[in-house]
Amino acid sequence: MILLESHNTIIQTVLAEKFSKPSSLDEHFVDYDGVRFRLSTPERKTLLRLSMNIRCWDQLAQYGAQQILEREYGTYLLPEAEPEYSVTLEFDTEKVPAEGAARDALIKSAALLKRIALGAPFELAFKNALALESGGSPPNATELMQIHYRDEEAIFVQAASDRVTVVFSTVFREEADRIFGKVFLQEFVDARRQPSIQTAPQVLFTAKEPPLEIRSAAGLKNSDDIGYVTFVIFPRHYNKPDVQNSTISHIQLFRSYLHYHIKCSKAYMRSRMRHRVAEFQKVLNRAKTEVATTERKTASGRTLVTR
Amino acid sequence: MVRPYLDCNSHALRPYLAAVRSTLTAALTLENFASQVVERHNKPEVEAQSSREVLLNPLVISRNENERVLIEPSVNSVRLSIKIKQADEIERALCAKFMRFMMVRAENFIVLRRKPVPGYDISFLITNSHTETMLKHKIVDFIIQFMEDVDREISEMKLSLNARARVVAETYLTVFG
Repeated sequence: MILLESHNTIIQTVLAEKFSKPSSLDEHFVDYDGVRFRLSTPERKTLLRLSMNIRCWDQLAQYGAQQILEREYGTYLLPEAEPEYSVTLEFDTEKVPAEGAARDALIKSAALLKRIALGAPFELAFKNALALESGGSPPNATELMQIHYRDEEAIFVQAASDRVTVVFSTVFREEADRIFGKVFLQEFVDARRQPSIQTAPQVLFTAKEPPLEIRSAAGLKNSDDIGYVTFVIFPRHYNKPDVQNSTISHIQLFRSYLHYHIKCSKAYMRSRMRHRVAEFQKVLNRAKTEVATTERKTASGRTLVTR
Repeated sequence: MVRPYLDCNSHALRPYLAAVRSTLTAALTLENFASQVVERHNKPEVEAQSSREVLLNPLVISRNENERVLIEPSVNSVRLSIKIKQADEIERALCAKFMRFMMVRAENFIVLRRKPVPGYDISFLITNSHTETMLKHKIVDFIIQFMEDVDREISEMKLSLNARARVVAETYLTVFG
């Protein structure tokens, strides 16, 4: 698996099972970026509740996440979220669509809960960019939107008339991660030279220093272990609704994707080293002299045993 | 004596390894030698450094400024330290990882020292008891084989990292279309 999926597999499988065979449950699970989920049946076993806690909910709500969730989930969205959670969806298994395409679509959209919530600022930025392009001037259109979706890492989104700029700040905890990350990000920058992907968003990478677009933002750290990745998204990636949708799903996962592959390559290095060390061991073992352990017997045929 | 592993190498590496091989073979003339300072102690003199007269002249064989071998002989032990080629940041990180990986397994590699001598990446300590229980020329073979393979392994790991990074970046960006 090279690309990550934007839906949550646990939600998908559990909902599919519980819609056809209701039973009581109370499950907690997590997703990328410290997102916590809870699936429970607080009142009766046909009433399923899916709650999500996302760190940057206040910021997302500010950029219209609530409206987008209402649009996507309609009456399934509860006006008040469960305590300790940001969003709650409620499904009555007796009233969900019958088994088939409609139910699958509902399950799929519930599994995309995190993607839809986190997509709000991107959607807003694309809307603003399209409005600016056609000559309008929506309020705060070129405002720099900040989404602090992890403890030390954030996404910055800014719309302009001819592009949308998305900046990821990412922290590399270990020295090796930092070096590997640099190799990976350099390839992202260089990959656009390939003729087949020249239409992809432009990628820029700066270590340590934040790029100009976000210098104005408060609380930026200027340390060695931090990197900034800028994506310049052109109108061709957001002027059609379906393309825009896939762009949002895809760009959100960038940080997870990068770190996932850094970890994969570290695991691969380990397995290589393990193999190589075993080979060295074999070479050294050849140096050991075999101690002859032949059975010694007396003339009458008895075996000598050392005590 | 047949040395097949030397033949497959580049010409620049061959004299370097040949020099290490003959120096190490010459240095491995060890005998049991008890401490002159403390009664009933028998320690590798190159580590103890307690009496100067049993230490021989240390010797550096260097291929270039980044690659060298330090051989410190003494009457009952030889210490050999290797500085491995590290051209850039990636190779430095990979080398540090790999050497650490080896040294935490030093128990299995009887002749491996748990810490390198300052200024080097990895050290071996061969004592007279090692040369008595193991074949001397095979220990030398092991060291030479190690030096050969470690360079290759690090450059292969670096290549595979770059190749993976390229595939990862291209796959991600292709989806945008």
